[in-house]
Amino acid sequence: MARIVATDAVVEFPIYTGMHRSLKSAVLHATTGGRVARDAANRVTVRAVDRVSFEIRAGDRVGLVGHNGAGKSTLLRMLSGIYEPIAGSLEVEGRVATLLELQLGIDPDASGYDNILLRGVMAGLTLREIRARVDEIAAFTELGDYLDMPVRTYSSGMLLRLAFAVSTSIEADILLMDEWLSVGDAEFANKASARLEQLVERTPILVLASHSPELIARVCNRVFRLAQGRLTEEAPSPAAPGRGAP
Amino acid sequence: MTFAHRLAAAGRDIRDGIAQVHVWGLLGWQDMRQRYRRSVIGPFWLTLSTAIMLATMGLLYGRLFGQDLRHYLPYLAVGLIVWGTLLAIVNESCQVFIGASAVIKQIRLPLTTHVCRVIWRNALLLAHNAVILVPLALWAEHGPTLALFSVPLGFAVLLLNGLWIGLFLGVLCARFRDVPPIVANLMQIAFFITPIIFRPEVLGNRAWIAAWNPLYHLIEVVRAPIVEGRLPLGSWAGLAAFTLGGALVTLLLFARTRARVPYWL
Repeated sequence: MARIVATDAVVEFPIYTGMHRSLKSAVLHATTGGRVARDAANRVTVRAVDRVSFEIRAGDRVGLVGHNGAGKSTLLRMLSGIYEPIAGSLEVEGRVATLLELQLGIDPDASGYDNILLRGVMAGLTLREIRARVDEIAAFTELGDYLDMPVRTYSSGMLLRLAFAVSTSIEADILLMDEWLSVGDAEFANKASARLEQLVERTPILVLASHSPELIARVCNRVFRLAQGRLTEEAPSPAAPGRGAP
Repeated sequence: MTFAHRLAAAGRDIRDGIAQVHVWGLLGWQDMRQRYRRSVIGPFWLTLSTAIMLATMGLLYGRLFGQDLRHYLPYLAVGLIVWGTLLAIVNESCQVFIGASAVIKQIRLPLTTHVCRVIWRNALLLAHNAVILVPLALWAEHGPTLALFSVPLGFAVLLLNGLWIGLFLGVLCARFRDVPPIVANLMQIAFFITPIIFRPEVLGNRAWIAAWNPLYHLIEVVRAPIVEGRLPLGSWAGLAAFTLGGALVTLLLFARTRARVPYWL
């Protein structure tokens, strides 16, 4: 059963600026005593996700909206388990798949086939599962003999095709996505879009961060607005599909 | 979250991380292929380099120290091979999380998996190096004895220690970026005070320098069976204490810091 429950969850980054700051504090400390000592004890922190609470159930298609730096990507990383909340709690039931920054974690010196295997096992597949899918993934990328070559010889478009094909071949209960992925030239983009559509359809929970109101309206049945890390739920626009829609 | 919760979460990370054999197995194997891609003899370069270094150092220092080569060469070989593995594990441990930051921020994996990858990679390299020890063990002055059967166990304990060293240094270096050069310097000093190219007897009444040096015991549990044909029970006892102590300290540190590591990268 797929479910996500967050209760007052906080993600806060400590910012370590190194010597500069501590030296400055140390010098100031000599002249102004108490005040700077307190200042030095309070580290500089950035609160990217600020006491958010929500419950997401199977069938929910959640759109995350908000300005740049509002905390969308950080919230997605929190949901994926990468950043554990430093306060509050987060419970995630079900297998999570992420489509965040696809190119990250690709090994440039390994071949395309090797990268399919590496990506697959890191995403939680067993060797047997990923081997069973290699042919399908390879065919989808249309990269042919290039798959035997080191990935560093690929163009950025080819690299994205590869990363996209592997990342979308997994089965999960919860799918986290940062913008609707658009890959390759027009023809390939259609094919990719269809594949993504299928993946979204068979996944019980989708959380999609996007700046496109049309996309959110088309795909999502719930909308979370983030502003400076605070979360408020908005009514989805009338065109929204899914639960409760007339 | 209470400390008990954190301790349990740290324990789960370690257990799940080690259990993901297919992940770190593939990653470590890949690393090794990577390093020797397009090379004709591949990782056996390592065997060859070690053999050349041994031959040079063995002949030079053997003559300088007036040592019998059938005694000194196996002695030096074990010392250098164990030290080489330890040094690689320590230095790579400092980068284990920093180097994997792209993956850590992208895909949720137990942190221990990344450490296992480093240990596995070095285990593979060690296997290539250890080949040299086989003829040396047979040729050694003392000749082969039953104690040789404890040699793989010595290597296993070396790698086991690598596991806590990797977690410990990995966490520390992710947070404090001055630690890697400090560690590199300490290891440099350790190389000179650990009996590797000289014999512990030359320490004379400063024998405590070896006795209290856990790195000496890490080497000795492999070296004594090959060179002297005996089981160094004292070293095994010291090593057991070192392993358990290190593992305990690491567990407490890891419980405190595990969830913070991705924030520091």
